[in-house]
Amino acid sequence: MESAAEFNHHIQGLRAESHAARPTEQELLDRPKVVEVDHLDFFFGPRQVLFDINLHVRAGEIMVIMGGSGSGKTTLLRHLVGLMPPQPGKVKLLDRDLGGLKPGELLDLKRRIGVAFQFGALFSSMTVAENVKLPLRELTDLEEKTMDIMANLKLEVVNLSGFGELMPSALSGGMVKRASIARAIVMDPKLLFLDEPSSGLDPVVSSALDDLILKLREAMDISVVVVTHDVESAFKIADRITILDQGHILATERVEAIRNSTNERVQNLLNRRSVEEEVDATEYLRRLTGGE
Amino acid sequence: MSVAIRSFDAIGRRSAGFFDQIGYGAVLFAESIYWLLVGWRRRQPVRIRAIFNEMQQVGVAALPIATLLSGTIGLMLAIQSLYSLGIFGAEAYAYIGIALSVVREFSPLIMAILVAGRSGSAIAARLATMTINQEVDALQVMGINPVRYLVSPVVVALAIMLPCLAMWANLVSEFTAGIYVSAALNSSLGAFVNDSLTVLKVGDVYHGIGKAGLFGVLIALVAVVNGSSVSGGAEGVGRVTTWSVVQSICMIVVTDMIFAYLTTR
Repeated sequence: MESAAEFNHHIQGLRAESHAARPTEQELLDRPKVVEVDHLDFFFGPRQVLFDINLHVRAGEIMVIMGGSGSGKTTLLRHLVGLMPPQPGKVKLLDRDLGGLKPGELLDLKRRIGVAFQFGALFSSMTVAENVKLPLRELTDLEEKTMDIMANLKLEVVNLSGFGELMPSALSGGMVKRASIARAIVMDPKLLFLDEPSSGLDPVVSSALDDLILKLREAMDISVVVVTHDVESAFKIADRITILDQGHILATERVEAIRNSTNERVQNLLNRRSVEEEVDATEYLRRLTGGE
Repeated sequence: MSVAIRSFDAIGRRSAGFFDQIGYGAVLFAESIYWLLVGWRRRQPVRIRAIFNEMQQVGVAALPIATLLSGTIGLMLAIQSLYSLGIFGAEAYAYIGIALSVVREFSPLIMAILVAGRSGSAIAARLATMTINQEVDALQVMGINPVRYLVSPVVVALAIMLPCLAMWANLVSEFTAGIYVSAALNSSLGAFVNDSLTVLKVGDVYHGIGKAGLFGVLIALVAVVNGSSVSGGAEGVGRVTTWSVVQSICMIVVTDMIFAYLTTR
């Protein structure tokens, strides 16, 4: 358990605005890899969704995975958090290969990661505080009072103190996302995955959520993987950005490199330009007639 | 593709889907029992509180409607028995048919159909909504086994509460039937109860209760299998809820017939 001084420092850090600069490339290189994806493919029936994905995230890094709709970013995230087993390929989290873990080991690993889903995935039958306490209640032997304190602390971190007794249906979209983040960090994870944190939010709330992500990294010293299609948000929070396009990684670079990329597809995504696909006439007819 | 090939394709797909669902149900049942027995050793116990919550919703909250239904069934049986036995002038023996049919057949069957419609549909809808809202995914990534957390309490609660409801239905049905028969034959309720107890054996009661327990497990598994295989948003939730009730009732009736055949011959 933390000492009182450390605990105080922790709280102050969480309350403070984030002013920390991005870690340099060399600083990142010196840190261990916490997420490693090697040659990951994924097939949905006969259709290939992910093509030879290679990716790594280092400790304390914020990695943003960007791509348009249907680019495979959510499928990739589901692989990263262990919801889909890697078919060909390998996914390692915190130096543990997800494919080779026994159920008990997988359980231990999952206690060290946090995931906030796109629509919050809060349990509608529980209050916000009960939602946040759920991992503590189910996975630890803590007393109720301790759980209450920890849940209130995390709710305060995401600026939701005082809203614990409300049901999720009574919260706004931004509050649901923040409550979901509070639940994701309640076990003090080493790795945090966020699926589309800014989708459906107005620019002000979205920006506040970006600040929260930066604050969390700084105060809790965690690595964050964010899946988003929000360019502005990605540029604000990312140390590095991975661009996914139709299941392929187009680029994994630092923010400036992505911004100045000469790759046409990357620029199309950043500048929200639609791309006219060239379609083979015979293939188009075959699709229309159902392959006959 | 020709019509014949399409028909074979459709039949094949549906057959494969049916066996797939049965296999999935069997795996869920085995996993539920596993977590029930060894969950505490892996620090993931099936919470007693969760089981009691489900028991309250499935059983205690169903008592008013269960009482109404079983009382009506008792009256209906009494009326029909007196009418049919009256053809032979054997109304005095109505208690035999009423006691045996209530305890061995009607109570477990009617309570199972009631619970399938009332609780099976609710469980399927709840699980389907949780699946669509990614709440089940959330459990998995938190390291909470969804079978242990969501399925085991439901299976245990239904396996316990359906026999309890069947026992309650036995009492209520016998009571209402006794009141009607004794009034119609100008005898006493005590005599009806006494006669019924002479004809009923402990095995008859076990037969009904055992069947009710089996129906409870079936309703739970059908609801869970349907609820967790949802697709297609709100419309999908409605579809799996309806399917859950239809499949449960079909399985209850077919299982009842097989059970009766195996234990009565």
